[in-house]
Amino acid sequence: MSDKAILFDTSRCSACRGCQVACKCWNDLPSTLEKNGNPPTGSYQSPMDLNGDTRILISFNEEAGGSKGVKWAFGRRSCQHCTDAACATICPAGAITKHEATGLVTVDDSKCIGCQYCSTACPFDVPRYQEGLRTTVNKCTGCVDRIEQGLEPACVTTCQPDALVFGDRDEMIALAHERADFLKARGYEDAVVYGEDEMGGLHVIQVLKYGVAAHGQVENPQANPVVGLTQIMKPVTGAVTGLTVAGLAAMFVLGIGYKRDKLAYNPETEDTISVDTGQVVKHGDGQDEETVMEHITENLPGKKGGN
Amino acid sequence: MTNHYCDMQNADVIMTIGSNNVENHPVSSKWVQKALDRGATWIVVDPRYTRSAEMADIYCPIRSGTDIAFYGGLFNYIIEHDLWQHEYVLNYTNASYLLDEQYSFDVNEGIFSGFNEETATYDNHSWHYQVESTKTWDTSEGGAYAWAAAPGVPEFTPPTVEVPKRDMTLQDPMCVFQQMKKHYSRYDLDTVSSVCGMDKDLLEKVYATYASTGAPDKSGTILYALGQTQHTYGAQNCRSMGILQLLLGNVGVAGGGVNALRGEPNVQGATDMGMLVANQPGYLNWPTEYGTPSLRKWCEKETYSDGYYTNKPKFVVSALKEWFGDAATVDNDYGYDWWPKVPKSPDYSIIGSFELMSQGVIKGYFNWGMNPCHSAPNASNVRKAMANLDWLVVADWVETESACFWKAPDMNPADIDTTVYFLPAALIYEKPGIILNSGRWLQWRYQAVEPWDEAKPDYEICDVLWTAIVDLYKKEGGVAPEPIVNTKWDYYVDGKIDPRPVAWALNGYVYDGTECDTTSAAPKTELLSSFANLKADGSTACGMWIYTGFWANNDAPLDPAEQAVGSRVADDPTGLGLHPKWSFAWPLNRRIIYNRASADMQGKPWNPDRVLVEWTGEKWVQNDVGDFVAVSNGTPVPPNDKAFMMLWEQNARLESYGMGDGPLPEHYEPFESPSDNQMNGRQNSPCVRFAEFESVKRGDRSEFPIAVTTYSVTEHWQTGGQTRTCPALNEAMPQQFVEMSLELAEEKGIKNGEKVRVRNNRGEVEVMALVTPRFKPFTVNGETVHQVGMTHHFGWAGEYATGDIVNDLPPNVGDPNCWVPEYKAFLVDIEKI
Amino acid sequence: MNLSRRGFFKAAGAAFATSMAFELSSKSETLAVEPSADWKLVNTEEYTNICCYCSGGCGVICSTRDGELVNIEGDPDHPINEGGLCPKGATMFQLRNVVDPETREIIKNTNRKTRPMVRRPGASEWEDITWDDAVAEIAQWVKKTRDETFETMHDGITVNRCHGIASLGGSQQNSEEEYLINKMMRSLGVIAIDNQARV
Repeated sequence: MSDKAILFDTSRCSACRGCQVACKCWNDLPSTLEKNGNPPTGSYQSPMDLNGDTRILISFNEEAGGSKGVKWAFGRRSCQHCTDAACATICPAGAITKHEATGLVTVDDSKCIGCQYCSTACPFDVPRYQEGLRTTVNKCTGCVDRIEQGLEPACVTTCQPDALVFGDRDEMIALAHERADFLKARGYEDAVVYGEDEMGGLHVIQVLKYGVAAHGQVENPQANPVVGLTQIMKPVTGAVTGLTVAGLAAMFVLGIGYKRDKLAYNPETEDTISVDTGQVVKHGDGQDEETVMEHITENLPGKKGGN
Repeated sequence: MTNHYCDMQNADVIMTIGSNNVENHPVSSKWVQKALDRGATWIVVDPRYTRSAEMADIYCPIRSGTDIAFYGGLFNYIIEHDLWQHEYVLNYTNASYLLDEQYSFDVNEGIFSGFNEETATYDNHSWHYQVESTKTWDTSEGGAYAWAAAPGVPEFTPPTVEVPKRDMTLQDPMCVFQQMKKHYSRYDLDTVSSVCGMDKDLLEKVYATYASTGAPDKSGTILYALGQTQHTYGAQNCRSMGILQLLLGNVGVAGGGVNALRGEPNVQGATDMGMLVANQPGYLNWPTEYGTPSLRKWCEKETYSDGYYTNKPKFVVSALKEWFGDAATVDNDYGYDWWPKVPKSPDYSIIGSFELMSQGVIKGYFNWGMNPCHSAPNASNVRKAMANLDWLVVADWVETESACFWKAPDMNPADIDTTVYFLPAALIYEKPGIILNSGRWLQWRYQAVEPWDEAKPDYEICDVLWTAIVDLYKKEGGVAPEPIVNTKWDYYVDGKIDPRPVAWALNGYVYDGTECDTTSAAPKTELLSSFANLKADGSTACGMWIYTGFWANNDAPLDPAEQAVGSRVADDPTGLGLHPKWSFAWPLNRRIIYNRASADMQGKPWNPDRVLVEWTGEKWVQNDVGDFVAVSNGTPVPPNDKAFMMLWEQNARLESYGMGDGPLPEHYEPFESPSDNQMNGRQNSPCVRFAEFESVKRGDRSEFPIAVTTYSVTEHWQTGGQTRTCPALNEAMPQQFVEMSLELAEEKGIKNGEKVRVRNNRGEVEVMALVTPRFKPFTVNGETVHQVGMTHHFGWAGEYATGDIVNDLPPNVGDPNCWVPEYKAFLVDIEKI
Repeated sequence: MNLSRRGFFKAAGAAFATSMAFELSSKSETLAVEPSADWKLVNTEEYTNICCYCSGGCGVICSTRDGELVNIEGDPDHPINEGGLCPKGATMFQLRNVVDPETREIIKNTNRKTRPMVRRPGASEWEDITWDDAVAEIAQWVKKTRDETFETMHDGITVNRCHGIASLGGSQQNSEEEYLINKMMRSLGVIAIDNQARV
């Protein structure tokens, strides 16, 4: 089976947000039940950002101009399913993985340890950390469950103007180019195809009617440099006890300044530990806190290889 | 809709005007996109830049309430540039008919001939045609109308056919075409752009683009909704669309038509059902005290002299037979006297009924899934009126604002003596039944789950109430029990109320051959396959003649899957999206009505790639079910000019004497307008309804200078009873807003996202300001006019999302033809909070 | 399994003990994995229905398991919507069931009212009432108001009309229900009958 992709054609999108809510319904994701619990946004866009329970979001960006007086650019904020998926590369728990048959990047939140490396690594700011019953990171799963049963992803199924199409990636790219050419001929000279080569090739191919930025997409996305580190450290992980990840966590804090809790994970015991306090955030089997703390200390950056 | 959703793909030009089809009828986006893929052009005409406008090719802003000026200009453009479809207009419309010599229009006064200032109504005598000759019905044995004199048929004097005088050269000054040409010559590009607040070049571009569909092989479609109807001249807006489409030869063709995108899931069904003061099921008129007090009078007044509606006595007698069953006989006029007779006044429609509540005339009220305390215009007045009720029954899914009107922020429950019952209704997937879409398709809904808790389907609620009422009258007697105890109510299967025997009743059946109340798995039925089989002698019963054929399989009368309504064969042999075997479209499974007009006078299709019907020289090929007499007594009928057989003329009306407020659409300003009328000497339609009510509290532009229109967003629906129940929708659209231009916001010192107060004499609401380039000020008659737009989905009721009632603001005035209120153009002022 | 199997629906049960149709089979290669136990639609029955919002008439499929709703999405065989649904249609499931953000369990929608209630004159709250009592009381009200406001003759014409009762609505109901509401009201003599078509 060849790689699959979702084609998102902004010029067909009516921003109805059927996709946004169909995702929630299929995946049993909650919205607040609190009276008037959704903050006003001053826009048609709501919520304003992704979160663990809103894994696809239609963005609205309006400016005066164009042949009709206004350019109202609708965008799709969700996982782009990179070929070079930094999140999957860095995920220490195997929660985010590449789905071999389709190339989609799927997530199993039952395996997530909440370390949030994926969030840091992602050039599109997609995986979101969420506290709750289980404190995990979540994102679009690609609806691999549906695809395996012969269905399209929920967002694609529900899209009425066929702004979302699912199929072989090659075909989606061809369709996208055809459409971009059509739009250019109709006077949308900034129309462009996005996702063909970015991050080794995305599995969400987009036709952006008003150009990349107008639709809220990232020009020339790059994985966070920290991802490279994991490649170096992986053999070490295999060789020793697997607490390399703690080093990474600390490094995020020290080296990049990304504000978050410092967590460590012991793959052997499946425990998650706060680096600052030594407290076990999430228990696995056979946890030995003292041992883990020792390992954390030993594995802080600067003590072990890396750059 | 004359056409249907899948047909939009066939259009060469699509004009969205008075609707926001992408947002409010989202599935239309699929079909419009398919048309664009085939090279169509899409025009959106709207006061603001909507999500539809973003997807369209051309966007043309229009000041709310000026559609007739826009159309009038387009008629003028089409006539001046000779872009009308000659063969079509000449033969299939009344363009050549000569009007009465007394017909006139006075531009200074802004009125047509026949106006009575005192009653604010027209006498339409001078709007009729000159008569060439007359003919009478042949009711003798073997004659075409022998049935009218048959035993069992109510006695009535058949109407006389008046053959109109015509001038096929269209030169006679009194012919409809010349009168139209003269009438609309005032609607030139400069004047229209000044009235509508449009850019003249853009206006001309829109006109040229749409008028291009006057080429015989081209078709243009109009997608409209409440933006056309909710005006004090809403019916004339609709007439305008009809005239436009006739001039361009766009009615009856694939990719054409006048397409009302209707707002409620089964509003098509409710309209068909005649759930309106003066209507019967199937677009027949309900009996009136003043016009049709007896069955004889009804048959004489309502039956057309020619065309298909010569059959009306068959439909009404069959309807009475289904209504009263055995009790309906020829001797008692089939129970006609038991039907209530509508008085001339007062008005009992929605707006008038609140006046009657205020006066203490109406004391009891049923609300079936409708929420007038929120949806009716001048809603605070509605709540005050309802506080006078003795009792109120609300059947719904959630606690609506109407169910708890006594809890409204402006109400004191202690002062309200109304007893209110809330009856929990089953959701649509908790019960089976039939629903119609805008394209007139009847479709079957299977029940998926049991109603939750104690909720009941509405048919069961109806049954328990009706049964209890009948029992009371049987037990205790009472005033005039006859209409009640003689009503046939036998829709039971195995002793339980069931929608399927009701479906038989709607479809129609041979009375003696059918038992509705059944315990048999294979009940006895003689369901009819066509309304051509209905009789006026009491031998057939039919609740809804236009549906006949949708449930006619007598081999499996209890199985919807074996009926046309339940058919799921999606084949599309023509590629035109007709899907003739998917469900059933009334009438007779006709997918595009008036389809005779898709072919020329020789029966040759205007467009060989879009064949609906075609005369081969020997017979008619019918890809769609022909909307004309294709065969008579077994012999094919060669092509003729009778393309509109539902009118007695059998030609469509460019001019219509049937309207209450004028035979041709003429521009007037909204009841509350920011500008003077530039087209004639009268500011408002001379026939506006309910303007005299004190509760209207008309506002003036000196105090309330901002024009406003109301509308829906795609994420919410109507009064929000359903959508505010869905957390994901509240998250996507958490509150209502007023959209305004950057210019107005600057003038008022309002920033995006701030709370503002919008007010007029009828009420005030607090909403969020959305400041956007998608709204622009209009230049009208050289002056700047600000317009804003508001959504209206929120109210105080509900656990998840609440807000103020925006419908407190619109005036409770109505169109003179159908009493529809004017939500789409009125005045407010806005202030920062 | 093929795309048209929903064409064989029968009124009696309309049940298929498997998952939804393979909508991709005509569009792309399917993986055709045997449904696993955690597949959302495993062992579900499907019932076709029509969306309850605008008048498009979009087809939906309701999937149920053990008599409870599991999922609603667009009917891929339906020629109008071809499987698509707008945001309102796509959340029809939530009219009955919602996800509790605290427990993340699926619960009954708490905004829906599923028991009869009555509000007595002057009261500021609802009271519970049984169906039987509600129906009996409403029937008494109807009879009282009808008998007090009924007009049999006017100016020598039989008019048989009841001025004191009004009925509003119908566009939400199925057609059979519309007929019954209409028939009940007209037979009571009610003139003030109106529905959403007017506004």
